[in-house]
Amino acid sequence: MFQLKMSDTKLLKDMITAISILVDEATFKIEPETIKLRAMDPSRVAMVDFQWPKTVFEEYACTEPSKMCINISEMLKLLKRAGRDEVVELSLDEKTRKLQLKITGKYTRTFTMPTLEASEEEVPTPKLTFNVKAKTTTNGLSQAIEDAQLVSDHVKIEADPEKLVLNAAGDLMGATITLQKGSDTLLDLEVKEPSKATFSLSYLSEIIKTASATSDIATLEFSTDMPIKIDFQQAKEGKLTFYLAPRIETE
Amino acid sequence: MGVNLRDLVPRTTVKLEDLSGKSIAIDAYNALYQFLAIIRQPDGTPLKDSSGRITSHLSGLLYRTSNLVEMGIKPIYVFDGTPPALKEVEIKRRMKAKEEALVKYEQALKAGRIEEARMYAQATSRLKDYMAEDSKKLLDLMGIPWVQAPSEGEAQAAHLVKRGDADYCASQDYDSLLFGAPRLVRNVTISGRRKLPGKNVYIEVVPEIVELEKVLKECGITYEQLVDIGILIGTDFNPEGVKGLGPKTALKLIKEHGSIEKALPLLKNASFPVAPQKIREIFLHPKVTNNYKIEWVEPDVEGVIAFICGERDFSEDRVRKALGRMRKGITKLKGRTTLERWFG
Repeated sequence: MFQLKMSDTKLLKDMITAISILVDEATFKIEPETIKLRAMDPSRVAMVDFQWPKTVFEEYACTEPSKMCINISEMLKLLKRAGRDEVVELSLDEKTRKLQLKITGKYTRTFTMPTLEASEEEVPTPKLTFNVKAKTTTNGLSQAIEDAQLVSDHVKIEADPEKLVLNAAGDLMGATITLQKGSDTLLDLEVKEPSKATFSLSYLSEIIKTASATSDIATLEFSTDMPIKIDFQQAKEGKLTFYLAPRIETE
Repeated sequence: MGVNLRDLVPRTTVKLEDLSGKSIAIDAYNALYQFLAIIRQPDGTPLKDSSGRITSHLSGLLYRTSNLVEMGIKPIYVFDGTPPALKEVEIKRRMKAKEEALVKYEQALKAGRIEEARMYAQATSRLKDYMAEDSKKLLDLMGIPWVQAPSEGEAQAAHLVKRGDADYCASQDYDSLLFGAPRLVRNVTISGRRKLPGKNVYIEVVPEIVELEKVLKECGITYEQLVDIGILIGTDFNPEGVKGLGPKTALKLIKEHGSIEKALPLLKNASFPVAPQKIREIFLHPKVTNNYKIEWVEPDVEGVIAFICGERDFSEDRVRKALGRMRKGITKLKGRTTLERWFG
């Protein structure tokens, strides 16, 4: 049995939106100290790893660990009804397996929605060693991705000790976006070995656009032809990290 | 027809896009029959070129395949070979049904009952040898691999999935499960808006995934027992099955007694064209081949145009557009990896 109360409804909505870009059905693991989720999109190109400790909530009660799977777009529809200064409470009825979503503020409404059969699949963490670690503002990163998207559907990200370069080559047009170390956008850059990898812009832009609503600073980690890890630093405690598999041109 | 396991099988619906990056072994005859049945004029006349050759199958193959490739799906078509001798009864039954439908079609057409004519026309669809040859030629030009099965196409498709050469089998029938296919996807070749036969009602057909392991777990049976259940309900090799026995009762019987041999004494009316063990043998040890090569290559655009526009009167403009969409899918998929590679 679990029950939680959240007054930062904007953050709750933004977080669920960020998760919803990869999965339609989300299986949350609810534990006495944390609520977490790790899931891949159906094509298995991208992964989201999310965790919120109980301190993020006004109230959090979980007597024993359980799993809860829900249709995330249905949940978003309900959450969108909550205004900024309203409070959302979630609780699971063990008997009916229905999730109750209560919004209180100007008035009170209580929605119920069914839970689905939880996925048994445990998504492992990719085994990766990173040669590049870049700390950027989410705002600057979103802009850079938007630039690249004008000309292509994929982007090559390259790093040397001085800078991070995004190269997009379309059929006709091209774009080179340079983020210099120490600039307003690239706050920090550690490069063990110059590296480059190419990624799908549709995945990158969806991830960065939605996750940026929850965070001001993103840390990118990658190596040549390896998946990229993008961690969106959370203002309160908690974690929102994405992994995205690369395109390898020789294949 | 195939075995009717519908009631026993847990299915997950998916979007076609979700299958992006996956390779799918498509039962070619199953797909071609669907194209021949569906792609017709309102009165039921199939598409034909100027010399009267039917082209419905080519139209379906071209547009459906290019749609799949555009979504990043990698199709493999598997063609039937010589059917097992045991299938004779079913083949004769189908021929007879088609002849009857043909008579009714002509009657309806004469009487000007167009809707009805179309319905019967769909049931007359016959797959001639030249259609399979045409289809293979078109697939070669499109750069899509196809596999010639020594016998049943569904058995060969299941074999491809078992060997890891394809991610899914695609068919409307559940027979691939009896052939041991780990993963089956239905409605791949017909998904979209479809008219219900004989009614003026449209429904949205979406792909659904069936996993053998899940079926067995849910039913609490072994793979061999699933085959026995199939035989009790009726397969292509004993179309009648056991009279009056539905999927649920068959499941109960096999669960209680363990196998067909042990359940048979309780079924007084049961009769089989041959010993059920022989039918079981076809499913458990089907005739399949490892002699195939699966490779997707860029379509030969001019070759496709020369064939179906030059010889079969397709509109060049539409064909070029379809092939263009196909290329987009190929580029999108080029070099794409999945995270699974780094799970170690």
